[in-house]
Amino acid sequence: MSNILRLIGGEFKRLVRYKLLARSLATGIIWVIVFLVISREDAGDVAPMLMFVDSSIVLMMLLGASFYLERQENTIKSMMVLPVSLWQILLSKVVSSLMLTLITVTITCAAVYFIHGISFNYALLLVFVILAVVAHAAIGFCLALFGKSLGTMLLMVIAYILVFAVPSILLAVNIIDAQYEWLLMISPSHAARALFSSAISGQFEWGKTLFSCIYLPVLAAVLMKFVVYPAFKSRAVRG
Amino acid sequence: MSDAFVVNSLRYRYPKAKGDMLKGITFSVEEGEIFGFLGPSGAGKSTTQKVLIKLLEGYSGEIKYFGRDLKTLDKSYYEEVGVGFEMPIHFSKMTALENLNYFSGFYKNKIDFRELMERVGLWEHRDVQVGNYSKGMKVRLNFVRAMLNRPRVLFLDEPTAGIDPKNARILKDIIGEYRAKGGTVFLTTHLMNDVDELCDHVVFGVEGKLTDVSTPRDLEIKYGKREVKVEYKENGATASALFPLAGIGENEEFHTFLRSKEIETIHSGETSMEDIFIKVTGAQLK
Repeated sequence: MSNILRLIGGEFKRLVRYKLLARSLATGIIWVIVFLVISREDAGDVAPMLMFVDSSIVLMMLLGASFYLERQENTIKSMMVLPVSLWQILLSKVVSSLMLTLITVTITCAAVYFIHGISFNYALLLVFVILAVVAHAAIGFCLALFGKSLGTMLLMVIAYILVFAVPSILLAVNIIDAQYEWLLMISPSHAARALFSSAISGQFEWGKTLFSCIYLPVLAAVLMKFVVYPAFKSRAVRG
Repeated sequence: MSDAFVVNSLRYRYPKAKGDMLKGITFSVEEGEIFGFLGPSGAGKSTTQKVLIKLLEGYSGEIKYFGRDLKTLDKSYYEEVGVGFEMPIHFSKMTALENLNYFSGFYKNKIDFRELMERVGLWEHRDVQVGNYSKGMKVRLNFVRAMLNRPRVLFLDEPTAGIDPKNARILKDIIGEYRAKGGTVFLTTHLMNDVDELCDHVVFGVEGKLTDVSTPRDLEIKYGKREVKVEYKENGATASALFPLAGIGENEEFHTFLRSKEIETIHSGETSMEDIFIKVTGAQLK
């Protein structure tokens, strides 16, 4: 087994042991209950919203909790003296986060299909989930690395939600006027939600889709290279 | 024997710090020896170790690892070195066996760690989650973790701190055997008893600078008193007398004294490593 697969396997095992997978599954079950009580028409609107919540807010919280536990155990330092690169370590964390998100997204897709008979382009959705997860994992890393404790990290996530996620939800429920949507595209969460809406409805606003497809990975790359990598390394050395 | 490490004029300054943490230190560690890097908190021990294990970059000066510039070595360096950090570092929700299997999987050259776990008394607790281990068990597991890749050089930071004398003895025996097989150890510790028993050479770090490299024995002689102290019983109490060590074999007064008194103890005046530590560094041992 290559080292990167071993790292991913180890990360996923930790997510299971620390009950983060169970929490993720619990979220999926809540979503199933939501779909049981809403109409078919509403399900088409709610599904992208829930996927966006999974791939952004839930993901950042799980990643932050996982990182905080790792900090408590000081295991980051131990990983740094293995014959693997820091990029491989970070990649394994992103991939294991992606796996968690894919589990809840799969539950959401299954619920929408079996309860309401709605299906859509799953391959495209997978690509969009990856883009959303990569960007939000990078943001989650930033919040986790600069939060001094789990509490401050969670406060930062809440601040992020208020600034970047809530406006997107307000737009979805028509409280914010649609003319401001392009401005909202700066929000990674809104860019992700736009992608999920497109994949589920099958209606593409090509400008926004293209923008999101470029913006999210570029944002992730910039954050990972210039913020997460050096901060993670510094944190590992300090222990 | 070649040099495992040759360190020349090593300087390191932490980001945002006003001054250098390491102020141009120079030393070498021979292959197959146990090299003790000693000093009080803030002396630069941990910083030096972090530089040598490539956790800290951006230093000036030169470090050669078996003749190769440390800066040019990639991640394969960690195939050759084992690191036992001071604080136990394991995934607490995983068992000891899961932890070791996980870490061991990354190495090309690895040991069958069962024998080592048996020796340190952890094999029977292999399926216990590390979070339920006592501090001493975690320290022993830390040691096994450091040995997983059959390291050519072993970095140990306070390897016996927090464990009972019996297990400390076992770890020291294993470290001694490792050295006997050609392994090199870079040891940082406050426990001077460990230094006395294990180290071939020691150096003291004081505020980012180093004293000369020496052996524990040479230090004990250098800082000790060249005298013999005799404790004896007199009028129901213990009294003592001092004699110069030089020419003690021909010292009639000394021999007469031994014959005429009820001797309780005789000590030569070598000082302990604890005293040397305090004298050299000016710091009290914690």
